[in-house]
Amino acid sequence: MRGIVGVFPELDAAVEAIEELKKLRVGDVTVYSPAPRHELDDVLKAPPSVVRRYTLIGALLGVTFGYWIPIWISDYWPLVVGGKPIASWVPYTIIGFEVMVLIGSLSTVAGLFIHARIPRITQTVGYDPRFSDGSFGIWVECRPDEQETVRRVLRENGAEEVRGDR
Amino acid sequence: MSESSTPVEEQKQGASRRTFLKVLGAAGATTAAIGCSSNTGEKLIPYLVQPDETVPGVSNYYASTCRECAAGCGVLLEVRDGRTFKIEGNPDHPLNRGALCSRGQASVQGLYNPDRYRQPMLRKNGKLSPISWTQAIQLLEQQLATVQSAGKAGSALFINQHESGSFPGFLDAWLAGYGMPAHLSYAALADGGVIAANRQSYGVAWPSLDFTAAKLIVSFGADFLETWGANVPQQLSFADARAKGADAPRFVYVGPRRSLTGMNADQWIACKPGSELAIANALGGSGSIAQAAQASDVPVATLQALATELAKGPPSLFLAGGSFDVALAVNGLNQKFGNVGRSVLSARPIESFEGMSSDAELMDAIERMRAGQVSMLLVRGANPVFTSPKSAKVADAMAKVAFKVSFSSYPDETSELCDLVLPDNHAIESWGDAQPLPGVISLQQPGMDPVYETRATADVLLAVAKGNPKLATAHPAPSYREYLIGRYPGGTAAFTAALIKGISSGALASERAKKAVVATTRTAANIEATSGDTYLVVYPSPLLDDGSGANKPWLQEIPDPVTKVCWQTVVEVGSSAAARLAIDSGDVLRVETAAGAITAPAYVYPGLRGDTIAIAFGRGHTAYGRYAMNVGVNPGDLLPVAFDAKSGAQAWTSTKVKVTKTGDFIPLVSSEGSARQHGRGIAQAIDARDLGIVPTPAEAEKTGGGEEHLPGDASHEFLPGLRAPVAQDAQGDLPSDDNMKGMYDPKHWSGMAKRRWAMTVDLARCTGCSACVTACYAENNIATVGAIHQSHSTSGLEGQPGANILRGREMAWIRLERYFEGGETLDESFETRFVPMLCQQCGNAPCEPVCPVYATYHSPDGLNVQVYNRCVGTRYCSNNCPYKVRYFNWFGYGEPARPQYAWPERMNWQLNPDVTVRGKGVMEKCTFCVQRIRESEHRAKLEGRAVEADEFTTSCAQACPSNAITFGDAADPAWSVTKMIADKRAYHVFEELNTFTAVVYLKKVNHTVAAGA
Amino acid sequence: MTAVAPETHEERRDNIATADVQLPLVKSYTQVTDEILDTLKITKAWLTGLAIAVTCLGIGATAWIYQIYMGLGVAGYHPPVMWGVYIITFVFWVGIGHAGTLISAILYLFRAGFRTTIYRCAEVMTVFAVMTAGLFPILHLGRPWKFFWLIPYPNWRLIWPQFKSPLVWDVFAILTYLTVSATFLFIGLIPDLAVLRDRETNPLRKKIYGVLSFGWRNSDREWRHFARAYLFLAAFSTPLVLSVHSVVSFDFAMADVPGWHTTIFPPYFVAGAIFSGIGMVFTIIIPVRRWFKLKHYVTLNHLDAAAKLCLFTSLVVGCAYLTEFFIAWYSGSETEQAYFVNRVFGQWWWAAWIMLTCNGILPMMLFSQKLRRNTTFLFTLSIFINLGMWYERFVIIVPSLSHEFEPWQWAPYAPTYIDWAILLGSFGWFSMWFLLFVKQLPVLAIAEIKEIVPPRMRHPVSRLSLDGHGETPGTDASNEVL
Repeated sequence: MRGIVGVFPELDAAVEAIEELKKLRVGDVTVYSPAPRHELDDVLKAPPSVVRRYTLIGALLGVTFGYWIPIWISDYWPLVVGGKPIASWVPYTIIGFEVMVLIGSLSTVAGLFIHARIPRITQTVGYDPRFSDGSFGIWVECRPDEQETVRRVLRENGAEEVRGDR
Repeated sequence: MSESSTPVEEQKQGASRRTFLKVLGAAGATTAAIGCSSNTGEKLIPYLVQPDETVPGVSNYYASTCRECAAGCGVLLEVRDGRTFKIEGNPDHPLNRGALCSRGQASVQGLYNPDRYRQPMLRKNGKLSPISWTQAIQLLEQQLATVQSAGKAGSALFINQHESGSFPGFLDAWLAGYGMPAHLSYAALADGGVIAANRQSYGVAWPSLDFTAAKLIVSFGADFLETWGANVPQQLSFADARAKGADAPRFVYVGPRRSLTGMNADQWIACKPGSELAIANALGGSGSIAQAAQASDVPVATLQALATELAKGPPSLFLAGGSFDVALAVNGLNQKFGNVGRSVLSARPIESFEGMSSDAELMDAIERMRAGQVSMLLVRGANPVFTSPKSAKVADAMAKVAFKVSFSSYPDETSELCDLVLPDNHAIESWGDAQPLPGVISLQQPGMDPVYETRATADVLLAVAKGNPKLATAHPAPSYREYLIGRYPGGTAAFTAALIKGISSGALASERAKKAVVATTRTAANIEATSGDTYLVVYPSPLLDDGSGANKPWLQEIPDPVTKVCWQTVVEVGSSAAARLAIDSGDVLRVETAAGAITAPAYVYPGLRGDTIAIAFGRGHTAYGRYAMNVGVNPGDLLPVAFDAKSGAQAWTSTKVKVTKTGDFIPLVSSEGSARQHGRGIAQAIDARDLGIVPTPAEAEKTGGGEEHLPGDASHEFLPGLRAPVAQDAQGDLPSDDNMKGMYDPKHWSGMAKRRWAMTVDLARCTGCSACVTACYAENNIATVGAIHQSHSTSGLEGQPGANILRGREMAWIRLERYFEGGETLDESFETRFVPMLCQQCGNAPCEPVCPVYATYHSPDGLNVQVYNRCVGTRYCSNNCPYKVRYFNWFGYGEPARPQYAWPERMNWQLNPDVTVRGKGVMEKCTFCVQRIRESEHRAKLEGRAVEADEFTTSCAQACPSNAITFGDAADPAWSVTKMIADKRAYHVFEELNTFTAVVYLKKVNHTVAAGA
Repeated sequence: MTAVAPETHEERRDNIATADVQLPLVKSYTQVTDEILDTLKITKAWLTGLAIAVTCLGIGATAWIYQIYMGLGVAGYHPPVMWGVYIITFVFWVGIGHAGTLISAILYLFRAGFRTTIYRCAEVMTVFAVMTAGLFPILHLGRPWKFFWLIPYPNWRLIWPQFKSPLVWDVFAILTYLTVSATFLFIGLIPDLAVLRDRETNPLRKKIYGVLSFGWRNSDREWRHFARAYLFLAAFSTPLVLSVHSVVSFDFAMADVPGWHTTIFPPYFVAGAIFSGIGMVFTIIIPVRRWFKLKHYVTLNHLDAAAKLCLFTSLVVGCAYLTEFFIAWYSGSETEQAYFVNRVFGQWWWAAWIMLTCNGILPMMLFSQKLRRNTTFLFTLSIFINLGMWYERFVIIVPSLSHEFEPWQWAPYAPTYIDWAILLGSFGWFSMWFLLFVKQLPVLAIAEIKEIVPPRMRHPVSRLSLDGHGETPGTDASNEVL
């Protein structure tokens, strides 16, 4: 797939470029920034992340498992200790809670990995090391006939470098 | 490499009355034939031809006689696969009725002692080196021949440990054959004065005593629960008397030091040493109270009160220790108040004490040695070098004797000086008999083949005699056993029959006449004449006796009942003296007399007069094996050679001393934490007057609560946890669904949940003697940890004996706690309460829920089970145990390769095959002798019957010479334990913690009011 | 380019912890990257430190091996004091761990901006502290080679742990805590790893960083999910951190031992843990900011704010001490009262007073802002806090056990050289890991710091001027969930 990448030293420049690209409805825009910025989120108007669903499901599975294990074990081998009930749910709440947190957290991470599409094996096209340092980047995947427009928009909005990538 | 390697099966024959007789029926008859295979014990190969009566994993019991002291108690030797591993009292024996003291039980450690002589030894260029028996016997023959030919036979000397039965006569006959004088029958620290006085008053050495017939007991320093006379029968009778509740006798102890016996007294009259006579006379009316009070430094009122109490004429009993005069005066009192024939049974004397030589006779013999008038010295069982005062210089005297023969099994101080050692068999390896009571013969049979290459002295003497053609005819018997049978009334058949029970009626014709009193010409003791600022009381240790117990780790490790110190000799200092001289427990003191000096740490003890110090005799050996050597100091070093003029008995309280602080400090090797119970009601007591009165809560409130009214008061309607075998609170909150309850369901086929094993401890009976502790060590393979070589480093405190115990790491599953009540101020009197503390087998055990791996849990029959193999050693259970009765294996006490190994080779032969040896890093505790429970359950199952009530009991309960411990099934009214639990005095320790313990204590009963009122 | 300003340059203002934290001397993104990556250069001092740490660890390890061979008897246990230095140190290290999670998670949810520059340091401390703590329950076992019996691993005998035991709760709490805090740390590291990857010239190291950063590209999609995931991890860590030390306190509160059996323990332990943790943060961050020339990142304002937190937790702990005494008196339980008297005026008075002084009295000095902003003072105080908190655990564990229900079994306790060696070893173990970390990975969070640094703008006064836009990515998202 081919596209155009623009490197912006300034934040507001990048933002304006994105706005204009959005107006022109050309290509599919990906923005790189050394640190997350609101301004970018605002212009991109991306839908909220769905990672939270993973968290919820993981937590529910966790707490169920965390209760089930000790109860099943106690009943499997019923030995009285200290005159307590064989399967006493109160102390098992602690196990339930800890396992909930464990599975919940891990599934959250899983959610992150799935939706952020990491780990990725290669630095695909359209990335520049500067994006992790000081500069903002805009990567536009577009048809060949749109490339000129995109180059123009990026350059006019103050990209210090604009190059095609394939 | 211990018994655990031999095949252990589920059941062994137990001490149940019925079954052991069945076994013995044949066992006794074939004893000699079963050369119990001690040397093949290591092999795992099953018998090809199985010896009769020997089933692997099944115990046989042989009735025999204990030889640790002269009394001659009957014992049962429990033998498994050719090894004797436990000694219990013979229930049929009239003297000890199944009970046995610590010393008797520890004799197995003498049997397997790693330091015993392996074979005969001969002194070659200065040191003893092994020789063969044939050589040894030849050598002895030659020596005897030379002595005879030189015509010096008459000046030979044979010193034998005092014992009753046929041996003394046999020995004298043998000696006579060589023209040698009769032997000296020596018992160190025996109460010679009392024996002499008794013989004068009653014509017998030692009358039996019936404490139950008395309402008032007055002891003038007679420690009848320790080493004074035959302690086991005396303790049995005393406990029976004290168990009578309101009718029980009041006990007054008169003496400068409150001994273990004194601690059991209701009143202690702390008189000046040597002033007992004045008091006795005053009470007898032959002296004025005022003078007595003046002489004895006791308030007139105290003596007056006692006199008035006597005047009311309650049936009483007077006992005396020490000098002839006191004993005579006390016998006079008994006659005056009509106790003879009532509580003093002179018609039923303890024969064992007849024929004892006096210390003076020994000293005369030693002087003869010193003068070079002794041609040959033979010693058996006695250790005069250690037991005589250092100032007697016995060693020097012995050096003057040309040829010295020892028959000792152990490298003790005396045998180490001898030229020829012919190691005797241990009592458990040899034949013999005793005459404990008139008309009672107690037989002694071996429990096994000799552990080492030793031979019974009697057999050696026979062999020697046979070597001499002139004497061969005089000794026809091929062996001592034949000899015994020969002179046994009724011959072989009767003898064999009698062996089954170990006793029979009849009398042994005694060649030794009752000895008359020998007044000594030697210096009489005069304590006031000696120089010094403090009186010195030297007394035989209740556990080590005259020091012969010192090579048995159990006896070294079990804390002294009074001071609670082990592996150490302490100088007991009275509280007032301590306050006066600013002495604290552990301060090292230097004690000096004209005879010598010792240094030892102080122990501050409220039960001692301010002008007196006391030191226990028994430690401070310079030989006698790894457990005894260089442990503690020997107070004998301080004593002058002084005697009781009339009886020639060594006077042990005979000198004043000079006491100085060295400034050093040595921490005491003690099991004592706090000696006060801080009102926590662990050891509860009730006054005889209050018996039967149940205080209402309101009254309890009025009396200001106080420990007598803590939760656990007998006024409680029921005892939680013992209400039912499956009480919800005792057995867990079980699901309603039966098939979820598993074995906890009483309807379960195993029926386990129908039972609730429980125990009662009657504090009115308990005297604190610690025999139960020894029994527990023996039964449960408990490691001793205090020996010097068991500490993991040699620097500083770790380098001294008892190093591990300095860190509180003793392993005693049952311990005797000794609490003082009252006496916070110096002039106030104090009371002592003993509590045997063991795992309480809680219904709701705090230790169980905290174990992360189910290593401890609650069994359906109410036991608090400890699974050693599952234990990972978090020690959380111990933290959570309010009674602190769980013990941790800090080192590999069971691993032979380690310095901490508790059973060096052959000591491990004593290990109980039914109990595992615990590994490093696991927790252990009292199991209620679960091996005995399961064994009798299995036996009952095999015999297709139910376990009968009181069919078996735990080791501690079995041994207790006070019958204070009762064990059984609290859920079954047939067991006597259920009756005990119903007693009004019953209480649980820390009941407020709702642990629902299965161990129930019965309150001690105090008798504060005058008897006969 | 590393213009380290003298501290006086900062005007003194009372620092209310807000999202709006200024780093006046940090001008550009590139400066952040450069200055923080500079800290990764290996120095001689660092090597020396590492050598010392490894030596201490060696001493401890040797002692442990000896103990395993000989048996626990070589340690100073004196029954009934069955727990000693090892459990004390276990609780101590778990406590240390807590501050990290507090700062990185709880303060994150509270939008306490000052956390940004110190949280990475604290979080690393957490992970390694918990790693250290985790050793001790194993180390104190009578049979350490059987420790896995506490874990419910499937086995054909179907013999499992006993889930009613607080020790099993511990296993779950500690393992969960270790996993989650390590995950949290690593997730936070991913963008920084990307930075390292892009800056690295050595191909091998570049590859390694590439793998570790999962090919992170700073794209908008990545940042979006990252922010949400980070938020939820923080939201989980918060109750977790509270639960973990509560569970640890159950080891004591669930027992019937006088001095242990009390309901105040969970909150009391959590407060103590955070207190000790912040103490340790000071002990670590103050040298770090000096030696790594990061004073203009970790500013006095940040330390000031952290010091206030320290003061607060100290007050909570002090209050808990007093409550314990009050309840002991109020309960009317004689054993409890006897124990507390013995704790403060008896056998153990010295330990108790070390605890009260270091944790209750000395931190009061933090009421003075002058002292709060004096790094030397803070460092010294933090040492006392560490000592005091170790002794707090000592005072809780040893005197209680030595003075229980059964007077006959009252006992003293004295650690041996083995105990001390293993304690030393634990510090060696912790320091070794920490030192290894700080030279391999950024000890300050590059990406997060960039968030509070103004980006370059074409029109400095545009509609995009930075009005409080230093917020962390989670903000808007959290508005949606909350």
